[in-house]
Amino acid sequence: MAFAPMGPEASFFEVLDQHRASLLATLRRSGGETAGGGTRLASSSEVLGSIESVIQDVITSVARNEAPAFTIDNRSSWENIKFEDSVGLQMASHCTTRKIKSDSLKSVKKFALILKILSMIYKLVQSNTYATKRDIYYTDSQLFGNQTVVDNIINDISCMLKMPRISLHILSTSKGLIAGNLRYLEEDGTRVHCTCGSTAVAVPSNIQGIRNLITDAKFLLIVEKDATFQRLLDDSFCNRMSPCIMVTGKGVPDLNTRLLVKKLWDTFHIPVFALVDADPHGIEIMCIYKYGSMAMSFEAHNLTVPAIRWLGLLPSDIKRLNIPRDTLIPLTKQDQLKLDSVLKRPYVTCQPFWRREMEIMADSKLKAEIQALTFLSSDYLSRVYLPNKLKFGGWI
Amino acid sequence: MPLPQACTGWVTSVSPRDKSKIPNNFSLSKPFLFRIDQELGPAPDAYLELTLPLSPSRKTGSWMPCPCLPELTGSPELEPRRLEGEEQGGGEATRGDNMQQILKYLIIHWKCETAGTSKGALLEGQLVISMEALNSKHQANTLHCVTTIASAGSIYGGLVLKKFLKEIQSLLPGFSAKLNWTSEEASYSQDISGVTPFQMIFEVDEKPRTLMTDSLVIKNFLHKIVMVHPKIKFNFSVKVDGVLSMEVFGTKNEPTLNLSNGIALVISYQHYVSKPKFATAELLCSRIHPVLGHAVMLFIPDDIAGMGLLGELILTPAAALCPCPKVFPNQLNRISSVSIFLYGPSGLPLILPGQEQPTTTVFKDTSYFIDWKKYHLCMVPSLDLNLDRDLVLPDVSYQVESSVGDQSQNMDSQGQTLLLFLFVDFHSGFPVQQPELWRVHTLLTTHLSAILMENHSVVQDSIQVAMDQALEQHHQATKDHQKFQASLSVAVNSIMSIVTGSTSNTFRKICLQALQAVDTQEFGTKLHKSFHDITRHRSLPYCSCETKQQLLPEENAEENTEDEHENSLELLAGTSGQVENKRLRQGMEETRAFHSARGPSQSEASVTPCGSRASPGGDLEDSLWQREVSNLSEWLNPGPKP
Repeated sequence: MAFAPMGPEASFFEVLDQHRASLLATLRRSGGETAGGGTRLASSSEVLGSIESVIQDVITSVARNEAPAFTIDNRSSWENIKFEDSVGLQMASHCTTRKIKSDSLKSVKKFALILKILSMIYKLVQSNTYATKRDIYYTDSQLFGNQTVVDNIINDISCMLKMPRISLHILSTSKGLIAGNLRYLEEDGTRVHCTCGSTAVAVPSNIQGIRNLITDAKFLLIVEKDATFQRLLDDSFCNRMSPCIMVTGKGVPDLNTRLLVKKLWDTFHIPVFALVDADPHGIEIMCIYKYGSMAMSFEAHNLTVPAIRWLGLLPSDIKRLNIPRDTLIPLTKQDQLKLDSVLKRPYVTCQPFWRREMEIMADSKLKAEIQALTFLSSDYLSRVYLPNKLKFGGWI
Repeated sequence: MPLPQACTGWVTSVSPRDKSKIPNNFSLSKPFLFRIDQELGPAPDAYLELTLPLSPSRKTGSWMPCPCLPELTGSPELEPRRLEGEEQGGGEATRGDNMQQILKYLIIHWKCETAGTSKGALLEGQLVISMEALNSKHQANTLHCVTTIASAGSIYGGLVLKKFLKEIQSLLPGFSAKLNWTSEEASYSQDISGVTPFQMIFEVDEKPRTLMTDSLVIKNFLHKIVMVHPKIKFNFSVKVDGVLSMEVFGTKNEPTLNLSNGIALVISYQHYVSKPKFATAELLCSRIHPVLGHAVMLFIPDDIAGMGLLGELILTPAAALCPCPKVFPNQLNRISSVSIFLYGPSGLPLILPGQEQPTTTVFKDTSYFIDWKKYHLCMVPSLDLNLDRDLVLPDVSYQVESSVGDQSQNMDSQGQTLLLFLFVDFHSGFPVQQPELWRVHTLLTTHLSAILMENHSVVQDSIQVAMDQALEQHHQATKDHQKFQASLSVAVNSIMSIVTGSTSNTFRKICLQALQAVDTQEFGTKLHKSFHDITRHRSLPYCSCETKQQLLPEENAEENTEDEHENSLELLAGTSGQVENKRLRQGMEETRAFHSARGPSQSEASVTPCGSRASPGGDLEDSLWQREVSNLSEWLNPGPKP
C-alpha cells in the first residue's frame, strides 16, 4: 500500500469520481483501448530484419547503377495527418513521402547519417544494449553537428521502420519529473517511490521497462512548467490533494514524459488534467500531451492521451477572477500566429469549449502565466484555484 | 601604256614613288583582286597588284598565273619591281606578324564602317586566308609562299586603297608595295560575279620551318579574334606541295558573354583548356562562367596622351575558372595555372605572340595585380607557350608553384585554370575614327604596361573583385565536393558495418551477390566504387548552368528553336556544310612543314572539328546562359567607374 498522507475528505472527489466513471464508460464504448495498449514492441529479430531489408534495398539500387534513396513519410505537412478523437494526430494511411537522396548535395549527409545511425542501432539490438540519443550524438559529435540532427534522424528511422524508438534500443535522457502517489519497479529492479515531500523523481528513461506500478491517485495533474511544479511541491499540493500524481515535462514534453503519462493513463484510467499558462504556447503543449505532435504522429498510439482535460489557467478565468490587467501580457505577433495555427488544427473542431477559450484570448489580445494568480495570494494556486477546480469540475 | 578597262588576272605594279598616282577616291567597294607581293630582304619591298575582275579560275580554288602579266610588265611607267627575297632576320617582324597587323587593320576598318550603321553590333562576316607554298625555283630548301586574304560579302566597302597602302607601309616598316590600279571608271564597272569582292595576296620565300611558325602564329591570332567576335569566321588553309590543310575559325552558335561595345566573349571551355583526362565523354558543363569586375577608367600618363591618346581608356576584367567545376565534380578541384588574355579596343589582341612583348612587362611580376597569398597560391610565370594546340594562346601564363615537388606537378596537369580577361576599350566622346583607333591600338601595344602601372591601385581592385567572385564559387565547389565525399564515405562504412556484422547468412549472401563480390573485402571495394560512379556527376547545385531549364522564358524557347533549326540545316547540308565547319586534310602527308603531332590517318581526307565546337543540343542552355550573362553584364557594367 502506498504511503497516503491525509488528503481532503472523500466527498471532495465526488465530481472527479464521476468524471472518471464517465471516462471509463467512454472507453468501454469505444472498446479498442486496453491497459498498456498501443503499438506492440518489435522483437530484436524484427528490428534486425527491417534494417537488413533497408540495406538490401540500398545495395540493390547501387547494383542497378541507380542512386539509392530513403523514402520517409512526410511528417511536416498537415495534409498527411489525420485526426481521430480517440487517438489524436496520426499519419494518414496514404500520405506523401519525401526522399533522402544519396546523389543530392542537399541530402547526401542526411542519407549517410541515417545509415550511420542504422548501423549503430543494428549493433545495439544485436548486443541487446541500449543507448541514449545523447550517447549516439557523442559517438561522433563532429559528424552529427548537434543533438537535434541525431534526434530528427532517429525519429525518421523510427518512422521509416515503423517501430517505436525503444524497439530500436534508443533511449533519451528524461527531463521530466514525477511526484505523488506512485510506486513502480524499473527494468533493472530498482524500486521507486514518488511519494515524498518537496522533491520529485526523474521520469525514467525506459518507460516500457517499468512494471508493478501502484497508485491510489484520484487524478494526474500535468504541470507545464517546472517552476509551477516546484511551487506546488513546496506548497505540499500532493499531500493536500492526496492521493494524486503530478508530472511536468518542463515545457514541451520529451518522449519519456509523454510515454509515462500515456502509461499511467493506460494502467490506471484516472482523470488527467493539464495546468498550463493561458497563452498559445501553453495550449500547444497541452495539445501535445493530449493529441500528439505532427512530428511524432507515426507513434501516436503510444503517446497520446485524449482523455486529458484542460484544468487551467483558462483565459476565461482571468476575467472571472478579476486578475488585474497590468499582470497580463499582450499577445505578440508570434503568439497571434501560433494561436491562429492552433485554432486551425483538426482537433479544435471537437473541442468547442477550448475554441471558446482561445477566442477569448484572441479577442482580449492578452495572455497570462499561471504565476498571475499570485497577485491574488502567493498560494492561491495550490490552496484555492486548483482545489476548487478539482472539487467542482472546473475543467474543459 | 593605257590600262585595260577590264581584264582577267593581269598584273601590273607600281613603285612607292608612284603611289601618288593612285586616285584619292579609289575604293575597293567593287569586285577586284588586290595583291601584295612581299619578299623580305635587306631592302624589303613589296608589290601591290590589283587585278580586275576576278579570274574565273579563282573560283575553282586553284591559283593560276595571270595571263596578262607579260603584257603589263613592260610598262615603262609602271615598272614591276621584283626583289630578291631573303628570309628575314630574327629582330624583324615575321610574315605572320605582318599578316596579323594587316588583319587588325582590316578589322578596325570593318569595325568603323559597321559602327556607323549599327552601334554595338557584333561584326559579322567571313574572311578567307589561304597560304600556298611551292618549292622555290630561286632558292634550294625554300618555299615560295603566296598568301591570300579574301572576303565574301561587302565587308570592305569604302576601303581606300591608297590610304591603306600608306598606312600599312608606315605600320610595317620592312614592307613596301607595288600597286597597280585601273581607271576609276573601270573600278566601278566590274561587279560581274559579285562572289569574291576582295582579295589581297602576299608572296614570299620562306624556309619550311618559318612557314610553319607563321601559320601557327596566324592561326592563334585568328582563334583569339573569334573568341570575342563570335560572328566572324575565318577560313584558313595552307597548301604545301599540293597537300591542303584547312581550318575554320568561328564560334557562331557558341554561348557567349555579351560585353557590349560590339564584342562578346565565347564561354565554351574547350577553347581555353584541353578536355580533362578523367572527365567522361559526356561533360556536364561545357562552359566557363566569367565574373565581370567593375569597369575602371585608366588614367593616361601625359607623355602617352601626348602621342595621340586623346580620350578615355576603360578596363573591364573578367575572371573564370576553366573548366567549370561540374566537369569533374568528384575530383578535388584545384587551380594549377592562370591564363591572362589581353584585348584592346574592338576586341583585337593587343600583343603579338612569339616576341618580347612590352605590353606584358607588367605581368612578369605575378603578384603585381593579384594577391595570390589570399588564395593560398604561389604563382610563377609559365614559359609553356605552345602555339601548336587547338587552344587559344594566352598573352600571359602563370602556373602554380608546387611546394611538394614532383608529386603535385603531375596533379597540376589535371587542375583548373583561372582565366583572366582584360578588356581595354577606348572612348573619345565622339565616334572613334579608324586612324584614331589604329593609333590607340599601336600605343596600347607598346604602352599598356606603363598605363596599367600608372593605374595600379584601381586595376588591382577591379581584378581582385572579379577574382574573388570567381574563386568564391571555386571554394564553394570544393567545400561541396568534400562534403559529398565525406558523406558517401560514412554511408559506405555504415553499410559495411552492418553487412560484416550480420549473423544472417542469407542477408550477407544477397548483399555479396548483388555486387558480384566473393567476399566482404571485395564487396566493400565494389560498393565504394559503385557509389562513387553513381554519384560522380550529381552535385554542385551552385553551378548556375544547372538551373537554366527552370528559367526558360517563352521567347527564349523560340529563339532556341530557331538555333536548333539552324544547326539542323547545317547538319543536313552534309559534306559541303561540313567542309565549312571542319578542318580538311588531304594528301599523303599532311605537310612536311607541319610535322607536329596530328592525326595518324593523314593520307585520307579527314574532317576534324574546329572553331564551332558547341554541340547543337546545348543550344537551349546556351541561349539561356547568354541571356543571363548578358543581363549580368548590363547589371555589373552600367558604365565606367572613375
